Amino acid sequence: MFSGLARVKGSVLPGVFIALGLLVFAFLLFFTLYTAQDSRTTPPIDSRIYGLLKFTLYQAFLSTVLSLGVGTLLAWSLAHQPGFKGRSVLVALFSSSLVLPTLIVAFGLIGIFGRNGWINQIGLTLFDYSFGSYLYGLFGILLAHTYLNASFASRSLLHAFESIPNEKYKLAKSLNLSTFQRFIYVELPALKPTLLSIGSTIFLLCFTSFAIVLILGGSPAYNTLEVAIYEAVRLDFDIALALKLALVQLAISTVLVIFSSNFRTGLGNLKTDDTVLPWREPKHLHYIQTTVILLFAFFFILPLVVIVVDGLDADFGHFFKDPLFIRSSITSGIVAVVSSLFTVIIALFLSDAKRNFTLEYRLGNSMFSRFFNLLISFSGNLYLAIPALVMGLGFFLMSQKFEMPMNIWSVLALLTANVLMSLPFALSVLGPVMQKTAQRYDKLAFSLGLTTLQRWVYCEFPYLRSSLGYVLALSFCFSLGDLGIIALFGSEDFSTLPWYLYQLMGSYRTDDAAGVALILLVIILSVFILLPKLFRSRLAENN
Amino acid sequence: MIKIIYVLLLLTLVICSNEKPILTIYTYDAFAASWGPAPKIAKAFGQENNCTLKFIGVSSSIGALRKIQLEGKKTKADILLGLDTSIAQAAKKTGLFAPYDLNTSSLELPVVYQDDTFVPFDYSFFAFVYDTDKLKNVPDSFEALASMPKDFKIVIQDPRSSTAGLGLLLWVKSVYGDKAGEYWKRLAPHILTITKGWSEAYGLFLKGEADMVLSYTTSPAYHIMEEHKTNIKAAAFKKGHYGQIEVAAALKSSTHLILAKKFLAFMQSPAFASIIPTTNWAYPVAKTSLPKAFGALHRPKKMILMDGEKVEAERKAIINEWLNAIQK
Amino acid sequence: MLKITDLKYRYKSIDDVYTYALSVKPKEIVAILGESGSGKSTLLDLIAGFLTASDGSIKLDERELTALSAEKRPVSILFQQHNLFEHLSVQKNILLGVSRTLKSSQKDILKVHKILKEVGLERYEHTLASSLSGGQQQRVALARVLLRREPILLLDEPFTGLDAKTRMEMLDLVQKITKENNLHTIMVTHELQDCERIADKIYLMKEHQLVEQ
Repeated sequence: MFSGLARVKGSVLPGVFIALGLLVFAFLLFFTLYTAQDSRTTPPIDSRIYGLLKFTLYQAFLSTVLSLGVGTLLAWSLAHQPGFKGRSVLVALFSSSLVLPTLIVAFGLIGIFGRNGWINQIGLTLFDYSFGSYLYGLFGILLAHTYLNASFASRSLLHAFESIPNEKYKLAKSLNLSTFQRFIYVELPALKPTLLSIGSTIFLLCFTSFAIVLILGGSPAYNTLEVAIYEAVRLDFDIALALKLALVQLAISTVLVIFSSNFRTGLGNLKTDDTVLPWREPKHLHYIQTTVILLFAFFFILPLVVIVVDGLDADFGHFFKDPLFIRSSITSGIVAVVSSLFTVIIALFLSDAKRNFTLEYRLGNSMFSRFFNLLISFSGNLYLAIPALVMGLGFFLMSQKFEMPMNIWSVLALLTANVLMSLPFALSVLGPVMQKTAQRYDKLAFSLGLTTLQRWVYCEFPYLRSSLGYVLALSFCFSLGDLGIIALFGSEDFSTLPWYLYQLMGSYRTDDAAGVALILLVIILSVFILLPKLFRSRLAENN
Repeated sequence: MIKIIYVLLLLTLVICSNEKPILTIYTYDAFAASWGPAPKIAKAFGQENNCTLKFIGVSSSIGALRKIQLEGKKTKADILLGLDTSIAQAAKKTGLFAPYDLNTSSLELPVVYQDDTFVPFDYSFFAFVYDTDKLKNVPDSFEALASMPKDFKIVIQDPRSSTAGLGLLLWVKSVYGDKAGEYWKRLAPHILTITKGWSEAYGLFLKGEADMVLSYTTSPAYHIMEEHKTNIKAAAFKKGHYGQIEVAAALKSSTHLILAKKFLAFMQSPAFASIIPTTNWAYPVAKTSLPKAFGALHRPKKMILMDGEKVEAERKAIINEWLNAIQK
Repeated sequence: MLKITDLKYRYKSIDDVYTYALSVKPKEIVAILGESGSGKSTLLDLIAGFLTASDGSIKLDERELTALSAEKRPVSILFQQHNLFEHLSVQKNILLGVSRTLKSSQKDILKVHKILKEVGLERYEHTLASSLSGGQQQRVALARVLLRREPILLLDEPFTGLDAKTRMEMLDLVQKITKENNLHTIMVTHELQDCERIADKIYLMKEHQLVEQ
């Protein structure tokens, strides 16, 4: 047993220390929030919080149902139309919704559905009729949530559709099942696990949704807890209320995370293959499915097109000269690069440490392996339960307690939040790859006595390459596009691109906003598409 | 190399110490804007006192206060300008502001206002502003406002960030008393959106997004003088209009406290008073001749204004009542 | 001589104790037959140091090996698959584990060249391992054994899955290498045919124990 420990000591200690550090930090955060409560000033839970909670859950529930419904319909259509032209491009595009900043989506949707959006403009030109302002409020929130999550869900669901064996379809055909029966008896059982895990993930995302609600909610009438925390701090400076909201939010999201512990599905590099069914769908179904695909594709692409069209119209020279724009870009760039590197490094250490406790010829046989295994998994995924604004509030309180320049606190808060936000995603991608490499090559590497450096250069890195590229791109995009914690720390001294864009939108500098939105969109899409390509290796295909 | 840096450092020190003192003023965006009062005031006061005024515009005046609270004692602000009498008490409670005694009896105010910290610099009356070309059936009371057709929309400001929004809440409270919550429930369907600050709301109205916006009785003067348009008007309410007296105060932590107080005194000067009407579109607190356009405005006979301390005691409850009423 | 006495291993998950005892002389090939899951490979893992025995000894010419970690044991091992890193060249694969740095010495490279000639792969020195056939890959792995010159050679069903002709060739190569280099070779297999061709001694894994045939 001790020889086993000696062999992997180098990979156990950093990971376990990081895991402990993450837990300690989470505890510190909770401790700060909890002790900051002042029993004298804290009013009891009142009807306002109850109302907020009710609306937050209500919109999250509706968003989840809508997203799953639309996502299933879309995946069903895509699965039965393997010959649809541009199908693989569409599927790839839908998957990019994972990194599309919520702020950009909101901006694009306003361009289509807003009072001066394309729909109203077409209505005015053709029929001299405007639908007026219908976007802001529950409709806008649901629309944006469905936009982001239905496309995200459809990818995993498509994968589930495609893993249904052809024999089952043949059976359905020979039993002469109707389309509906086929769906209920053949397809739904195969979708169920994905629907559950994806559904719980979407619910959690919508429950803690911030930027969408902030922008499309339109008024305090449509506040979620997350936005209420922001308003309590920024508008009211009512820390007591913010704290109470944060603790309520934390309690509920923790319960949600525990319920949806199977977060993993649908995050990795899913490959969809074009399973060819032995026969074509009947004509009327063919039309329905094609229409569904086309409609959703339009719905998905149009807001992006609006950003491009409006953005190209913008006077780039105008805001390029704005020192705040330049500072925001630099801050955003640095924070995104640093936090994506940190995310990858921490995820590597954690995954490296974790596999020691699952493999029998490492420490898998040791008494504590189960405990450490749990410790590491828990520490990495714990931050799913801590919404950005709650973490931000914790940082904010610490900044009030400990003397340090505000800008340092802001950078620290932003980096930490971005790293911890991407960490669960990074772990779910890198963990399995590292586990597999260890299973395959541990014995060889140990018997050859490879040094740590040799092991990383010759054994780990080549197999991790493409996943590293994906994780780097993912966390870079998350971090670059995030409008979360910056909402608490943003000022004219400290700003990021999304915060700058939000300020422009708030002051109705629509032209400049369109330009900045276009820049953000282009950077994010190209990083998300190109960075993994740079890291691509032939090995990935065998993995 | 190190020597060069050292010399450069010394040089900058010398330059800095030779430079005029900078007085930093946090205020709302419309005041700090290039078309607002800031440039003219900076020029007038700067020349007179050999200093530079630096205006930092925040999306709303209460936002500027929150910014100072966030920054605490480290704040760069020397003066906070743009709160009104309704929120001044809350600001005073933070203990961040320096006392300043001013005899306000000589000021041209419609009501008596005396405070040991905050100094008034202009006033106006809240009113709903509309376009006569678009709105024919103009409401003349809150009752009429709530019973407008279904597609009639107004834009108001958030009382937690904007003094205008808070003013409206107090106005409704003073008209409806205990029934204010019930009134807000009736008005809610007509609220297109609730903005953080005045300029955001006014921008929405000018873009044609809403039929009416909560602004001031003095706002139409801008359109008359700057755009020669007479179609923007403030709706006169029969039961009177709630007033707003805008105030400013110096910060205890200011490194130029003497200069800051000089500025507070300057706000009562005729020079300052002459700038306010045509840049901040409000009534000045010192005697000056008003532009002709002001004569065409509706000037309410009575200013409704709740006492600052009473407001502070009830502010949270009033805002909560409002939030509960409009919450979906 | 490699002598294993009363070597015990307890699987936590199964709660069964496996006991091994056998001896291998230099130039000798010992085959271990048994069904899959009977514990054959466990023996190899114990000798190679991947698993730690709860009791017993492994001695090579009076030197006790049980306390050594895997990389310090005088052992070369060939698995059924994943003996090579597919993304590295044949040359680099053989050189791995000889030096502790990323760069190899000129002397070692010359040695590799000679050894590849010996196993008939000189043409593939700079080919990527992934583009070799299964038989060729195992041949490269054997070439590495020659470079490392460890006295114990463990074969964990390395030729399963190869076609009959290649398998015979490989077995003969193992025999040749063992005899020429004085190796102690232990081969785990479930093919009686393989044993009959090259094994000097055959053990059967039965009820968690080795039985000499």
